[in-house]
Amino acid sequence: MVQFVLPRNSRVKPGKSHKAPAGAKNVKEFHIYRYDPDEKKNPTLDIFEVDLDEIGPMVLDALLKIKDDIDPTLTFRRSCREGICGSCAMCIDGINTLACLKPIADVKGPVKIYPLPHLEVIKDLVCDLDHLYAQYASIEPWMKTKTPMPKQERLQSPEEREKLDGLWECVLCFCCATSCPSYWWNGHRYLGPSILLQAARWVMDTRDEGQGERLDDLEDPFKLYRCHTILNCVKACPRGLNPAKAIADLKVLMMERIL
Amino acid sequence: MAMRSALGRARGIGSAKDGFHHWWIERLSAIALVPLTLWFASAVISVAGADYATFSAFLAKPWNAGLMICFICAGFLHGKMGMEVIVEDYVEPRCVQVAVRIFLNIAVYVLGVISVVSVLTVAVRG
Repeated sequence: MVQFVLPRNSRVKPGKSHKAPAGAKNVKEFHIYRYDPDEKKNPTLDIFEVDLDEIGPMVLDALLKIKDDIDPTLTFRRSCREGICGSCAMCIDGINTLACLKPIADVKGPVKIYPLPHLEVIKDLVCDLDHLYAQYASIEPWMKTKTPMPKQERLQSPEEREKLDGLWECVLCFCCATSCPSYWWNGHRYLGPSILLQAARWVMDTRDEGQGERLDDLEDPFKLYRCHTILNCVKACPRGLNPAKAIADLKVLMMERIL
Repeated sequence: MAMRSALGRARGIGSAKDGFHHWWIERLSAIALVPLTLWFASAVISVAGADYATFSAFLAKPWNAGLMICFICAGFLHGKMGMEVIVEDYVEPRCVQVAVRIFLNIAVYVLGVISVVSVLTVAVRG
């Protein structure tokens, strides 16, 4: 549903300020969204001063430094720290991205860090991804075949395999989905760029024999056609993928089977 | 209290098996409107400041009346489809959304028919 203003209990208020230790020379401010479900209070924006000389170059390094040395209650997801797991997705400096791939040096002034937009916040920078994962399950992301199991693997030529480039690399961080206004307003029905890119990954796979059924399931004014080519998804994707093109390719296939 | 599973909610009541037609006609009408709008602008400029007799003589030519009707039809159709998408995106709750869409459809068809009949009246009667 369209919401232009945050609900009263979600409005962000000023929070605590943590100064850098004396003698720190290369200090950068990090403004971080904090929300604790156990305290019945509005979210706050805490300010942490971090000495950049003591940490690595990425925003995730700063977050780990804050959690380790300043405030252990700061909560966020992280795992691989190299852009493969998609866990540390958050809104940094106004753009959804992975904290492990975002250089601190790219941000002028204080580094503002919020959770992914328009999802329910569980705690601090951790959002509820249940609906997105359920939408992912709904497109049945596995190979569907009618041909009996072959003795060896199902074959695919190098040219056929190339069709999956730009699709298989998605790590399901949901930076794209949560940057899409169409997904903000109609996420309960619209599948969003991340799930549609995944759907395209299976539709385009020449080993898959369920292409028609997959397209049947996608043909819907909301599931697929809510994409208005706003292209925030392309700007947000930390892996440099193009979900908008994947969606356009799905629409072209819809056209091919009707015209 | 909603106890339905997340997957149940995501799958919902399934696909409408529709959506391509709306998307396709929206684009076709947009493409048609490019030359039609250029023609309409040039037509308006050519009869700007003219008296009624000159204008009715302009519209009495079959090409002009035909293109004017095409412009009106494509414009109303494209406008209706675009407005429908905006209403679906932004109007809540659902009952109001459906009511607005019904009103929009009736308004567009009534205004479209009146516009076409007006063109024909001027073109035929002068």
